[in-house]
Amino acid sequence: MKAHEIMRRDLSSVEVDTPIAEVIHLMEQSGLASLPVVDEEGVLVGIISERDLIRAALPGYLEMLHSASFLPSLNQLSQRLKEMASEPVSKYMHSQVISVRPEDEDLQIADTLLRNELKQLPVVDEEGHLVGVIRRIDLLYRLV
Amino acid sequence: MILTVTLNPTLDKFYWVDRLPLSLERVEEEILIRAKKSATSAGGKGINVSIFLACMGVDTVAMGFLAGHTGQIILRDVLARGVTANFVWIEGENRTNVTIIERGKEYHPVKIHEQGPAIPPHAVDMFLRKYRRMLRRAEYVVLGGALPPGIPVDFYGELVRLANEAGVRAVVHAGLTALREAIPAKPYFIKPDVRQEAEVGGLPARTEEEIIQAGKHAIQQGVEICLISHHVTGDILVTPQGVWDLEARVPLSRYKNLVGADDALVAGVLYRLVEGDSVLDAVRFGMAAAIASAEIEPKLCLVKSSIEREMQEVEVHRKEGG
Repeated sequence: MKAHEIMRRDLSSVEVDTPIAEVIHLMEQSGLASLPVVDEEGVLVGIISERDLIRAALPGYLEMLHSASFLPSLNQLSQRLKEMASEPVSKYMHSQVISVRPEDEDLQIADTLLRNELKQLPVVDEEGHLVGVIRRIDLLYRLV
Repeated sequence: MILTVTLNPTLDKFYWVDRLPLSLERVEEEILIRAKKSATSAGGKGINVSIFLACMGVDTVAMGFLAGHTGQIILRDVLARGVTANFVWIEGENRTNVTIIERGKEYHPVKIHEQGPAIPPHAVDMFLRKYRRMLRRAEYVVLGGALPPGIPVDFYGELVRLANEAGVRAVVHAGLTALREAIPAKPYFIKPDVRQEAEVGGLPARTEEEIIQAGKHAIQQGVEICLISHHVTGDILVTPQGVWDLEARVPLSRYKNLVGADDALVAGVLYRLVEGDSVLDAVRFGMAAAIASAEIEPKLCLVKSSIEREMQEVEVHRKEGG
């Protein structure tokens, strides 16, 4: 099975200059935990996730949360997120995006997802335009 | 690729009932209507066009505004039908349009249409950025349906102008003010329906003569194809080359569900234009797609052989030119 047969043809994305507040709003409205970032041509240039936002707001916070006995106040996180609200997503996105092509095979996709511990993979055409997204569950659903 | 714009998407909900009592026999009674069957699907004119095209193997992207739980259901259905989705998410809830179809009166459905959420200015800006980007990959863009609250009345005019600048043929599948404001921007193809509103581009369209004059007026303003639906089985086609009357010899009793038939018409025309057909042949196929869709309970007929069979029912009469 090829990537174009598995992918969700959902182009929900943000542009590099989209403010963080709008990114959070879009994630909340769409229910997506991460969003591709595209340039003016629709070429994939990055990815931003909830995790990236938390990590950017409070470096070390996610690691601390692994301790069950540690339940810090959210005030500091809230304050920092408000400071970040008007900043562009380009400042916090991952620019080194792992992606696949529409003709890539399912085995390669599974390998890429597992090896890089990714929840989803963007699919891009030969010019780098975002054409879809493959979530881990999309692959599992088709393999079961 | 064919881009479709549905500014006010809907979750279409259909109920089929044996009998639809619309008045109380005893004042203390409530009206309980038990549906024999129901169906739900993503809708709105542009989305319906995209669903049809995707099923015919045409690359299509649907755009517009989604909101809330209903928006999630609409998105899921759109994606499941092979349409690429590029929506802007907003606060609130997309509308649900209810159609109640009574046995024996399928051509007179009862409809309840919600208004839909208001579109905030920042969402309009985001939509326009996405729209400009998607135009670079499109051959046609279909602007479908009424304008939701918050959208300026001349918005389709602006979208047509942007499409023309990008070298993309614009189709306006809407009526009244939305269409009136779009015509001066020179869309390639318009599809008014004078059964619901007896005007085209601000001109009256009650009689056949008025319909033809209104169509010619649109052509004089730069429109290339004006296809006007004037009754359930009839359309008038006006182009710079002439005027044609298209009639389907189908009795009303054959119709099962009229919702979406006009979207099948537009989608069928576009499908055949993309395939390289002449305008007249494309319109014949579009009418056949509309008839085939009206003759089944699901909203759209997506079986090409069924549509092609219906083409023999479509009669074309040249009225002028050609």
